[in-house]
Amino acid sequence: MKTHSSHNITAQMTDPSFIEEIKKIPGGEKILDCIQCGICAGSCHARFAMDYSPMQILKMAHLGLKQEVLSSSTIWICASCYTCASRCPRGLNIPAIMSGFKNMAMKNNVQAPIALKPKFHKTFTEIIGKYGRMHEPELQMRLLKKTSPGELLHNASLGLRMLRKGKLKLQPSKLDSSTHFSEIYKKASSEEAK
Amino acid sequence: MKYAYFPGCSIHASAKEYAMAAKAVNKYLDVELVEIPDWNCCGAIDAVYAYNPLLSVSLAARNLALAQNMKMDIVTLCSACFFTLSRANNLMRENADMKSRVDRAINDAGLKYEGGIKVRHYMDILANDVGFEKIRQQVKMPLKGLKVAPYYGCLIVRPTGIQRFDDPEHPTSMDNVIKALGAEAVNYPDKTSCCGASLVITDEEVMMEMTKHPLLTAKEAQADCIVTPCPMCHFNLEAKQKDIESHFDIELGLPVLYITQLIGLAFGLPPKELGLHRNIVSPNKIFEKLKGQMTQKAS
Amino acid sequence: MKEPKIGVYVCHCGGNISDTVDVAKVRENISKLKGVEIAQTYEYMCSKPGQDMIQRDIKEHGLNRAVVASCSPRMHLDTFRGAVKGAGIDFRGAEKKAALNPYLLEMANIREQCSWVHDNKEAATEKATALIRGAVERVKYNEPLEPKTMPVNRDVAVIGGGIAGILASIELADKGYKVYLIERNPSIGGHMAQLSKTFPTLDCSACILTPKMVYVSQHPGIEIIDMAEPIAINGSPGNYELTVRIRPRYVDKEKCISCGECAKVCPVKKWSRHEEDLVQEKCIYLPFKQAVPNAYVIDKDLCLWFNKGVCRVCEKFCKGKAIIFDQKEETRRLNVGAIISCTGYQQLTPDLSKEIFDGWNVFSQYGFGLHPDVVTNLQFERLMLQGLHRPSNGKPPKKVAFVLCVGSRMDKGIQYCCKIGCMNAIKHTLLLLKAFPDADPWVFYTDIRAHGKGYEEFYSKARDHNVKFIRGRVAEVVPNGDNLILRAEDTVLSRQIEETFDMVVLSPALLPNVGTGEISKMMGVDLGPDGFFLERHHKLRPVDTKMEGMYLAGCALGPKDIRETTVETMATASKVATFLGKGEISVSPEKAYIISEKCNACGECIKYCPTKAIESISKGVHINSISCTGCGICVPRCPTDAIDLKQSTDAQLMAQIQGTSEDGSDRPRIIAFLEKTTAYGSADLAGQTRISYTPNVKIISVPSTGRVGLKHVLHAFANGADGIILIEGDDSPFQEDQVREHVNNIKKELSKFGVESLRVVSTTTTLPQYDKVVNLFQTFDDRVTKMGRISPEKRQKIANALAGDK
Repeated sequence: MKTHSSHNITAQMTDPSFIEEIKKIPGGEKILDCIQCGICAGSCHARFAMDYSPMQILKMAHLGLKQEVLSSSTIWICASCYTCASRCPRGLNIPAIMSGFKNMAMKNNVQAPIALKPKFHKTFTEIIGKYGRMHEPELQMRLLKKTSPGELLHNASLGLRMLRKGKLKLQPSKLDSSTHFSEIYKKASSEEAK
Repeated sequence: MKYAYFPGCSIHASAKEYAMAAKAVNKYLDVELVEIPDWNCCGAIDAVYAYNPLLSVSLAARNLALAQNMKMDIVTLCSACFFTLSRANNLMRENADMKSRVDRAINDAGLKYEGGIKVRHYMDILANDVGFEKIRQQVKMPLKGLKVAPYYGCLIVRPTGIQRFDDPEHPTSMDNVIKALGAEAVNYPDKTSCCGASLVITDEEVMMEMTKHPLLTAKEAQADCIVTPCPMCHFNLEAKQKDIESHFDIELGLPVLYITQLIGLAFGLPPKELGLHRNIVSPNKIFEKLKGQMTQKAS
Repeated sequence: MKEPKIGVYVCHCGGNISDTVDVAKVRENISKLKGVEIAQTYEYMCSKPGQDMIQRDIKEHGLNRAVVASCSPRMHLDTFRGAVKGAGIDFRGAEKKAALNPYLLEMANIREQCSWVHDNKEAATEKATALIRGAVERVKYNEPLEPKTMPVNRDVAVIGGGIAGILASIELADKGYKVYLIERNPSIGGHMAQLSKTFPTLDCSACILTPKMVYVSQHPGIEIIDMAEPIAINGSPGNYELTVRIRPRYVDKEKCISCGECAKVCPVKKWSRHEEDLVQEKCIYLPFKQAVPNAYVIDKDLCLWFNKGVCRVCEKFCKGKAIIFDQKEETRRLNVGAIISCTGYQQLTPDLSKEIFDGWNVFSQYGFGLHPDVVTNLQFERLMLQGLHRPSNGKPPKKVAFVLCVGSRMDKGIQYCCKIGCMNAIKHTLLLLKAFPDADPWVFYTDIRAHGKGYEEFYSKARDHNVKFIRGRVAEVVPNGDNLILRAEDTVLSRQIEETFDMVVLSPALLPNVGTGEISKMMGVDLGPDGFFLERHHKLRPVDTKMEGMYLAGCALGPKDIRETTVETMATASKVATFLGKGEISVSPEKAYIISEKCNACGECIKYCPTKAIESISKGVHINSISCTGCGICVPRCPTDAIDLKQSTDAQLMAQIQGTSEDGSDRPRIIAFLEKTTAYGSADLAGQTRISYTPNVKIISVPSTGRVGLKHVLHAFANGADGIILIEGDDSPFQEDQVREHVNNIKKELSKFGVESLRVVSTTTTLPQYDKVVNLFQTFDDRVTKMGRISPEKRQKIANALAGDK
């Protein structure tokens, strides 16, 4: 569903502090270097699923259109394949900037076009906090708690396929408490929340 | 040659056979992967990083610190882990603010990362430390006539700041391994296309559209199988292959092997030891093609 | 020194000075100074009556020195030097006698750097007095000086035989100069000889170039030295010695008739450089049909005789008996007055890309080298001339993509635009359509740069022919069987494009030619941040360099089209003609010189000279007064005080420092040493804009802040100064990091005298950055005021130390 609006861009829509926020993202310092050449958009393997091209997102960022950027599907669809970044003539780390936008969107509680995405990041992180390593069955269950029967069936069939081949780890891992993994997790989590 | 081995979460679950085969072939390549004790999840590219960048780098830094205690460079089998750990390594080196905050997080656990540990991918070890010649020398059963499409994916060739060991646009390391094994390395346009691994759970259709391309063009180029050095890519190409077939109404039936499995076959190791019974898309086609040679081996 | 009899003239400047500075009071105070014979004020000193006043006083009062306190010397130094010299006829018709040597005049800037920038009249008056006092004390040590004239060699060396070098040679030779045209390759012509047609007129390139090449070869005033490269440049402006190494051609140019029989029988094939590796030729080859000199040449690296000792078949078949296998390398020394670098450009290649972009081959994503139908601009030019076809199958190309900016406009490595890529692509589309009217050209661009005469119209023409212009930097070109799949984003329609093409033409970035670095070092000329030769001044001196007698033209300075090259070449030829035209050059006497009795030949000075003007000789060093630019950086470096600088001698400087610092109210006194052109000019600009700043800062002009050494700084402190500022112009040969190092060394020594290092500060500035200069004056004044004045005891201690040092 396109969130592209048809009315003009007005100064009122722009947030002049947006650029400063972006410059604080590791990899976002050079954002104003973009010459809008479009090689990122041309290279993007996931472009077909985006409402705005990566180039457009950077342009919108230059103009301070914070709301538009953070509610786009683009920032969530970016697969971090680095094709854009490796070819960008200005050396912009576009995947890092997209990550930064995801982070900003979640912090600002901006509605993601796919509601599942912020939930995925949160849930994944929490499971890591719990076990130190991923536990796929729990991730699947927690994410798909409220989805359609069709979805559940579909995933069940894949799950069975994996189980039959011994590719499903049913028991979660447990890290040795002597290396204080959970302390690190707690400290880093609380720091960022500041 | 010993390395601090970072398996990553997939290895203990969906990608068991990658590690099984690696263990089997490493003996012949003079490579010893010493698992980092008590390693934790790297952060899985953006899964944690987008949610909490500091936490993501701290998680990765814990592994870097543990490897530093072992006084060895890190080797991963998984491209995503390779990238995630590399990114953290670079941020610790280049971003003083990030470093001090991460240090604060891990120091309390009695861990310190002073930098200097390299993060490398297993393909890099094969191409540069072992060398194609050594691999060729260990081949007992050349995979003559087998057409193998190497699928590199993204994260071992492109990102800046990683230990680049191959050309980002036209890599050749896996092609050279395939040739050293006696097989034919198929040329097709999607060697480094993105499979969309990070989208598999939340944007399955997008991921399938992306993974479809290497499968189709490899098949069009007459490949007998695809080989890959990443569990995430392998999952999309293989475990999801049936879903892709039905979603786009196409026929693929292309076995997908891990690079270690292919090497193991050429080294004459039994398929079970290489975990080939775990592959979801049956590798029987490959056995068929190599039948003549394999029976020779059996006798 | 004779007893000084100084005339001091304080100008009202029609109120510009007198409205703020009490000129009468100043005159009164100055007249009391020892050595001042007469002190006058006048409304407009620069006017005829004002100048006559000076001349009359010189005659009637027997003055032997003069000081004019008025506007900036950058305005009227020459005026007042002329007045003092007394050239010409006065209004009474009587011939004025030469009155005084013009170097016996000093000026005090009490307008731009005083009355225009200070509101407080009392402070301005006091400062004006101090500045004039400084000038008065200084002028006592001025000596009469005469400019030197040096005969110059009227021959010129042109390095590089492309269009720039060719036109420069013709211009100068037609003016009567003898020109050595030095070309590295076996033929002149450069890249222009490879082009098919030129934009926007679609003139045939060879048709306009080759007549010039022939003219050059027949011109009695031009000697082409082919197969040659410079290996050393010695001497000084107007008298250079350029050594060239001439590689053997193994063919006698005089005897070769270019019949081509040798090539017919030569067994070794190679890729033709002229044909951009598209066509093969033999290892004995003629560079191209219209080559000048028109003679064959042997590629030694591939020749069987030189590698394996066999063959020499060409020799047997040569009709003119022109092949000489034992031809030797030659060295020639050319004596010339001026040298022009026309070394041109080279196209980016995959190997160069890896070097410049840290291993990244920018051609790789476009399939260059993976499919024969992906070609470069220059290759397309050659294909046009061979009869345009696809290299893969020889068939006509129908659908052709032109990919711009390959390796250009990057964040590092190659930041600049190649300037001609857009126009070349447009040209190619029109030529393609002319050859094959049903062809389908697409141009993928980021910005279309159609900046020159007729260019926008040319672009319109292409659009009229329905050439498809897509705005988007191409992502990748993937070989797909016979064809090429191109992917890009159409950023205007915001959609990805995936299109199949027969041929893809790449516009690679343009780089300084091979050898640019080495030649710039030989010439002593800088390269700019883009790696091309650096001009003296971006706007007003675009073909000069920092070295007198060395000039530039064409793509050696940066990528450009043929018309701009021609214009530049005309400018360069004109500059050279001005330089050498009179047969002699006048050399300012304001140069450094060695006091040989004090010199111990340690050679320290040689390291610091930015124009290599000092050289070792037996038992000492010698300063070439032509190469010396009078910057004075060497003077304080000498451990035995064996160097001094005329018109800015230590005696003059010390006297001026004392005179400026020694008297006044109890306000802090800050001496600011400003480099005389850019930094001083910047302070003048501040005056012109009437910015107000503290009168505590008094400016002394120096040739360069490198001229100022520890003893000058200490002398200032000893005589009443509380703070020292040093400002260098950013285009001076004394660069920012050198300034910092120099000043840090001075600061380190201050602690020995109990003087805080914070009392000295330095910076560099550009001409328009006067606000930076004024800001520094203000903040430093605040700092020094807070630190308080230096105690008389400390001053005495410093004075004693300085005296003891002598």
